[in-house]
Order: sequence, then structure tokens, then C-alpha cells
Amino acid sequence: MTGLSRVKRLSEPHLLVWLILAVLIIFCAAASPLFLQTDNLGNVFLTQPVGLGLAALGQAFVVISGGIDLSVGSVISLLSSLAAGLYRAQPGLSPVVVALFLVALGAAAGAINGLIVVGLRVTPFMATLATMSLFQGAVLFYAPRTIGGIPKSYRFISDGLIAGVPMSIIIFVVVIALCLYLLRMNRLGKHIYAVGSDPYVSQISGIPVRRVRFLSYLICGVLVGIASAYMASRLGGGGPKVGVGYELDTITAVVIGGVSLAGGSGSLLGTFAGVLIIGVFYNIMNLLSVNAYLQIVLKGVVLIAAVSFYSKRRV
Amino acid sequence: MAGTETVLRLQGITKTFPGVRALDDVSLDFARGEVHGLVGENGAGKSTLMKILSGVYQSDAGRIFLNGARVSFKNPHEAQLAGISIIFQEFSLIRGFDVADNVFLNREPTRGLGHMDKRLARERTRKLLSEIGFDLDVTRRIEELSVVQQQVVEIVKALSFTASVLIMDEPSAALTDKELRKLFEIIRTLKARGVTVIYISHMLDEIFQIADRVTVLKDGKVVGTRTIPELTKDDLVRMMVGRTIEDYFPDLGKSHGPVVLEVQDLARAGKLSHISFDLHAGEILGIAGMVGSGRNFLARCILGLEPWDAGLVRIKGTVRFCRSFREAMDAGFGYVTDDRKAMGILGRMTITENLTIASLRDYLAFGFLRRSRENADARRQVDQLRIRSTGIAQPVETLSGGNQQKVLISRWLLRNPEILVISEPTRGIDVGAKAEIYRIMRELAAAGKAILMISSELTEVIGMSDRIIVMRSGAIEGIIDQHDAKASEEQIMSLAVGHEWSFAGGGTS
Repeated sequence: MTGLSRVKRLSEPHLLVWLILAVLIIFCAAASPLFLQTDNLGNVFLTQPVGLGLAALGQAFVVISGGIDLSVGSVISLLSSLAAGLYRAQPGLSPVVVALFLVALGAAAGAINGLIVVGLRVTPFMATLATMSLFQGAVLFYAPRTIGGIPKSYRFISDGLIAGVPMSIIIFVVVIALCLYLLRMNRLGKHIYAVGSDPYVSQISGIPVRRVRFLSYLICGVLVGIASAYMASRLGGGGPKVGVGYELDTITAVVIGGVSLAGGSGSLLGTFAGVLIIGVFYNIMNLLSVNAYLQIVLKGVVLIAAVSFYSKRRV
Repeated sequence: MAGTETVLRLQGITKTFPGVRALDDVSLDFARGEVHGLVGENGAGKSTLMKILSGVYQSDAGRIFLNGARVSFKNPHEAQLAGISIIFQEFSLIRGFDVADNVFLNREPTRGLGHMDKRLARERTRKLLSEIGFDLDVTRRIEELSVVQQQVVEIVKALSFTASVLIMDEPSAALTDKELRKLFEIIRTLKARGVTVIYISHMLDEIFQIADRVTVLKDGKVVGTRTIPELTKDDLVRMMVGRTIEDYFPDLGKSHGPVVLEVQDLARAGKLSHISFDLHAGEILGIAGMVGSGRNFLARCILGLEPWDAGLVRIKGTVRFCRSFREAMDAGFGYVTDDRKAMGILGRMTITENLTIASLRDYLAFGFLRRSRENADARRQVDQLRIRSTGIAQPVETLSGGNQQKVLISRWLLRNPEILVISEPTRGIDVGAKAEIYRIMRELAAAGKAILMISSELTEVIGMSDRIIVMRSGAIEGIIDQHDAKASEEQIMSLAVGHEWSFAGGGTS
């Protein structure tokens, strides 16, 4: 009994999203001969989605718990700049130290968001709208322009190979596996779903609702920290524009992936599919030479379409 | 009856909400392994008492003893850990989670570091299910389950805490007869295991079928506790209602004008069926019925706040389909809701602003509000209805409940409606103000307004209505004309709780 139903349940919620991705890929292959070229495919499916994917996983934790995080992008900008600045001051630093430092800072940023939401009882939207400004202002104050100079040793994080497998893939697979475990098989994940689904029922069941909310922001912060460490490596530097658009892209990915903005439902694999859809979407726009600003317009349209699609399905 | 060992004892429980004493010195004993019925009219305090018992509310005074030891609970989780579980009408389940996840919510079996042992949770849930003889796939999600299945999940969850007391609040409300029999079977199994079941219901037949003893609450006080075999249904109803109509009600209307509202075969699937009645100018038509009987839903349909499936509504002879409240207003309705705070007053705004909010169009001149005219009308209304305040600029939230209610009635009077729908006209209002509201309503009727009054208070329904509609399960069970003889509370109750039971012979069923 359970074997079959488990397989069914695993696939059910995001089966549709993967289907949409498949259709989109077929469309792209038909629309542009460049799409199926190995370089392009590697770019779209292996390199590009890692940064957005890591950040979107963080966003998914927060949204499932019933919150939202608008500060994701500015935190990435700030942390990538700090990484570059750090290397400029101390070129000899170990990549491990720098990466761990960024993850710790990401956790701190998440903790700040969580404390504002839980401690000061500011609604998640307003709290992270404010910290978005706070972090963006901080990065502009610290480094108004892009800083380069990330050494080769550090760039192993994104460009290196271990036994022929790109580091980016290894990082992403490990992280998503851990996140999947946490959400599906760990008690904390169960409570994150419960709190997002029905805070009142959670509370009368004795779940520490505020702690769970805080922890989901903290987890998001850690994941955004990992995303920042990766981005600094991939771009070879940092700057105030590195994370621009990430708040919107992560939310779009989460929504396309079937996570309800009302909280309590959705999955990480769906979110991952959402990330790939966004990546493919950007890629085909570029291949078809669609104007960059028009792309932003179309992105808004896609977000509205996704949200309205799911809100219709719910009723 | 089961053993006489007392498992739970309440002593002097008192709870006051602003303006209302919900429970007044309630003392009760519950025996181990008994099914204890708890009955009373709407607002008698049953639910409040159970919420205190299960830690949702805290009492102002009084003590609770569980197995002889004094207890107090900050929340339902603490109560559950101590062995008292409550099943609310609104289930406390996470709809997207499966059965086992809900049963063990926040007590998930783990193997260190929060790693969940799902198999163990499912095994234990299956075992509990089989103990009460109910077959259910523990991997199904709550949203896929029927009401009785969800109820069983709640019961199993309670059992997983090794419950010694299980409170069920109107468990039969959404059950079919067959499901109810299944529920009774389960209750008997629980009883045999020594679990005390407190069964709240206004379906008296159920109480007689399942309960060993029954306690009647009325106006927040215990009327008495009786053993079922010694009690007839007549006795029980008398305990529930027995009071005389107080004399602060004005006389009924003398003559009625033409029909202003005619409702014909109004229906909404699962909510209302074949509702037909008419309402005359100058008449107060009361609607009585238990919570969930469709009283308020009917009003909301007529007022354009809920869609309906079939039927006709005529206003002064013309068929009108109000699809929004705006249209209902334009058709001549005014509506004073039962929830003053949430759906009535604009608390921080002044008396004037509250009065004119529904008729601002009348105060516009070239797109600007004419404050002076607003104030003049507000002063007139305050005088006429004797709204006690420090002035028309006083924020409405600082007025007493009775005066807030007068403001809401005045709000509609400014629009001069043909039909005024008033739900619970005197909820949470002290006795003196009640009499004034009653007088105002009768004066309005005398001035030719038609009034549809929905009320949970039987004395009020009997004291105020020219005619009374009694509803049950979305249908009209009877319409009583009070001009020949006043209805008795028993008469209304018997219609409201079930027609299969008649007082004619005064028999025991």
C-alpha cells in the first residue's frame, strides 16, 4: 500500500511543474537552434541555476512557514562585496574560511529578519522590505562599485571539478538533499509546514510557533549565505548589483514550483523546477535577442500568470 | 451508570467577559467512565466552560481538580498532556497532513536530532484505531477525509495522550445518522476503557441515547445534574428554559400594513431549503433556531451577502435579486449585524461618522461632505434615541454596548429603510439598555417599518415578535402567530431541536 502511494505523493504536487519545464524545453529547442548546443545546455542547467537555486531554497523555507523574504537579493550583493573586499585586504585567506564567514554572515542576516518578524512582531513583508533597504544601503556605502580580485583558489567553489563532477553540482546536490531531509523527515520541517498551514492549530498543539518562524528565517539566511559564497566565486568578485532581482526571482521560482504564498504547502523539488524554468526562460529570451528591459516586463507577466494559476486551482 | 469515582471536579468556576457574566460559580463533578451530557440554550455557557476546562480560556475564579489534584492549564496542549482533550466543532487538525502526522503533531516519535520515525507514528496510530474498532488509512490526508473520519482522528489523537477526559462539542452537527451510530459505538468503547466523555449537544435525543447523566446550564449557572433514567425529556426542557417572560417587553403591534417582503421557496444546497414567509409593514418577525439552524444564513441570502440556488424574493411586490449588499440597501434594507465590533461600529471614528457612513451620498454638495448637516442630523438622532455620550464627536468604541447598538440602528434610520434586519439586537447589553432597544424597535414598527429580528434569546423572541419563525437544519419548522396566544419557550425549543418529539402528551418518548 504505502510503496505505491508514497511514490504517487512524492511526484504529485510538482509533477505538473516538471511537465511545464519539459514543454518549455521542447519549445525552446524548436525556437532556437542554439538552445540545444552543449555549451548552452551546460550553462542553463548546470552553471546558471545554482546561485538562484540555493537562494530559492531559502525563500521556500520562509514561504512555507508563512512568511516572505524580500531581502534575499541585497544580502547576496552585500556578502559578495564583503568577500571581494576581504580578499583585497588579505589576499592569502583560505577559501574555506571566507566561505564559512559568508555563510555565518548570511545566518546573521536571516537572524536579523527573524528577530524583527518574531520579536518586534513586524509583518514579514514590511520587515524584509525594510532590511532589503538596510542591506542594499550597507553595500552601497561599503562599495558603490563592483570589486574584483577573487583569487583562483577561491574560484574552485564554482569552477572546480572533483572526480570530473563540477563543484557547483556537488554543492547544490548536497544542499538540496540536506534541505529535503530537513523538510520531509525531520521534526523541524514538519513544524515549519504546520506553522505555515495553521498557526492557531500549531499553537494549541504546543508547537513553539515563534521559534519555528525564527528558525525558518535563519535557515533561509544560511542558504543565502551559501548562495553568496557561490556567486562571489562564479563572478570572481562582488558588488551592489550582484543580487539585483533575486528577491523577485526566488519568489517567482517558489510560486511556479507550487509553494503557496499563504504558507503551509509546496515542495523544494517544485521550487527547483521553478528555478530551471526561470533559467530556461531567461536563456531563450537572450537567444532570441529579446530586449533586456522587455525581459523584465515579461518576468512580471510570468509571475502574475503563475500566481493566478495556482489561486484558481486552490478554489 | 459507570463507577462513582470522581475523576474531574469543578469548583466555583466563574468567568466574565466585558459586559457579560458567562459563568457564575459553576461546580460540577464528573465520574470515571461516564458519558456526561451538557445541555443548555445558546449562550448558557457550555462552550465557555469547556474552553476553561481545556485551557483555551482561564477562569476568573474557581478551581479544577483532576484525580484529586488541583490543575490549571495555560493552553490546550497542557490540558492534553494532563489527560483532558477537547474536540471542537472546528477541528484542530492540519488539513494538508496525513492522519498519523496529525495524531502525533508536536509529539512526533524521533530517533535523535529530530529525525522522525514515521513508521512508528503510523504503527501507533493504526493500533489506536484498531482499539476503537475503526478502519482508516493512516497515510491519507485530512482534507481527503469525511467529517466523521476527521472526528475519529481527533479522538485517536486524544487517546494517544492517554486521555482520561474527552470533551466533545456538538459532535453530531455534521454527521449522518449512520455516522452518528458509529460515533456512539466508539464512545461506548471509550467508556468501557474508563474514559469520561463530556458530550455537549442540543440534540436532546442524542443525550438520552448516549449519556449516563446530564447537566443543564442556564445563564452561566448550573440548573442541576440528573441521572438519565430518572429524567423525561419534558423535565429536561423545563430545566433548560423554565423562566417567565419578563415584563419589560412593550406590547405587540396592533395592526399591520401591507406585505413588504415576500420570500418564496428560497433554497441553497446544504444550507437552506424551501424557505417561504412574508413580512408586513409594522410587524416584528422573529427568527428563532439553534446555532447552525441557518437563521443568520437566511438573512445573509436575502441581503445579497450570500448567493442562493432557487427561490424568489419580492420587495413590495417586485421581484428583486440582490447580488450585493449595496443592491439590498438600495432595495430598502437596513442591517444591524450580530457582531457589533467586527461588522458594525467603526470603533475609533466619531458618533457622527458612524451615523452617516451608510448615507454619505445625502450629505454631498458638489463632491464635498457637508459637515454641518451631518452634525445636525447626528445631534437629532442622539436626542431621539437617547444615545448617552459626551457629544457627537465621541469615538464610538468608548460608548457602552447599548449605546453602540443605538448608533447602529440610527445609522440605518438615516437611510429610512423599509425593512430593518436586526440580528441579536441585545447581545452583550445590560438589562436596562435592553428595554430601551426593545422600545425603539417597537416604535419603529409602529411607525411602519418592517423588522426581521434574528435572536438566540427565547425570551426576547417571545417578548418582541408578532410572529415567530422557528428554523432547524436550514428549514422552517413552524411559524407561530403570537397575537392569539404567546408561544411558550418549550414550544419553540421542541421545534428548534427536533419535530419528532412532541409535547402533546407530555410523555416520555
